[in-house]
Amino acid sequence: MNDKRHDRRDVELDRFFALARKASPDISGVERNFETRVMARIREGREPWYAWAWRLAPIFLALTILLTGWSIFFSPLHPADPVTTLVSGTQEVALLDNLTGE
Amino acid sequence: MAVPNEDADLVRSAIAGDDEAFTELVRRHKGTVLRSAARFARNPAELEDLGQETFLRVYRDLRSFRGDAPFGHWLSRITVHVCYDALRKRRREEKDVSLEVLAAPVADPSTENGPSAQLARIILDRAMSRLKPEDRLVITLFELEDRSVREVAELTGWSETRVKVRAFRARQALKRYIGGDDER
Repeated sequence: MNDKRHDRRDVELDRFFALARKASPDISGVERNFETRVMARIREGREPWYAWAWRLAPIFLALTILLTGWSIFFSPLHPADPVTTLVSGTQEVALLDNLTGE
Repeated sequence: MAVPNEDADLVRSAIAGDDEAFTELVRRHKGTVLRSAARFARNPAELEDLGQETFLRVYRDLRSFRGDAPFGHWLSRITVHVCYDALRKRRREEKDVSLEVLAAPVADPSTENGPSAQLARIILDRAMSRLKPEDRLVITLFELEDRSVREVAELTGWSETRVKVRAFRARQALKRYIGGDDER
């Protein structure tokens, strides 16, 4: 390039460039089976929307199991015993009558 | 199924949906793309990303390949654009990299044999990470890939004047960084 000023620093920089050109980067690891990975990405991009639905199936399943467990342990499945409810109701009425003096 | 010999034939087959043809294109050109991208990548994972992104764009834009120039030229332009995009993305995170530690032994005039090729590359990488993305792109293509101003202009889509100005600015900045004059 015509604009290059050949002072000491230019020489030094050119020496750096010359050395760096020699240090060809090692690409062997990435190069191995690279085309297989590229094609996998391309095929992945082509998948229809329902392919994703199938992938999400385990998450939905886990969520269903979790919700079922939660409803079993934290909400009563059977209503309370009717006799207990009646007795408990009677006791509350008697207590209220006593307090109000009726 | 027989694989066509010419790149243009492979492109036509790939457009028609022949995956084996595109695989063959990747196999043929991966070395060139990866060697070029390696000048911009910081590690193998980033190199893998740059390489994959290049070929994904190639696949996406395959129909826009007109065939009036060799496939390799078209592919080089895409590689350069992918690398340039990556440089712009990471510009901010590399801004504050300190050079002093690495530059010190090299700037020392008492060093007898000078830096090794590997060390020179590391120091240049560090220094170039402080350049603007467009300056870095130009100086890499110009100095490390030994391309002419015209070739760089074709690859980047910029004018030759712009390329020359960028290369000049990049050199000035690199001289400051490597010489340790940069006060920033």
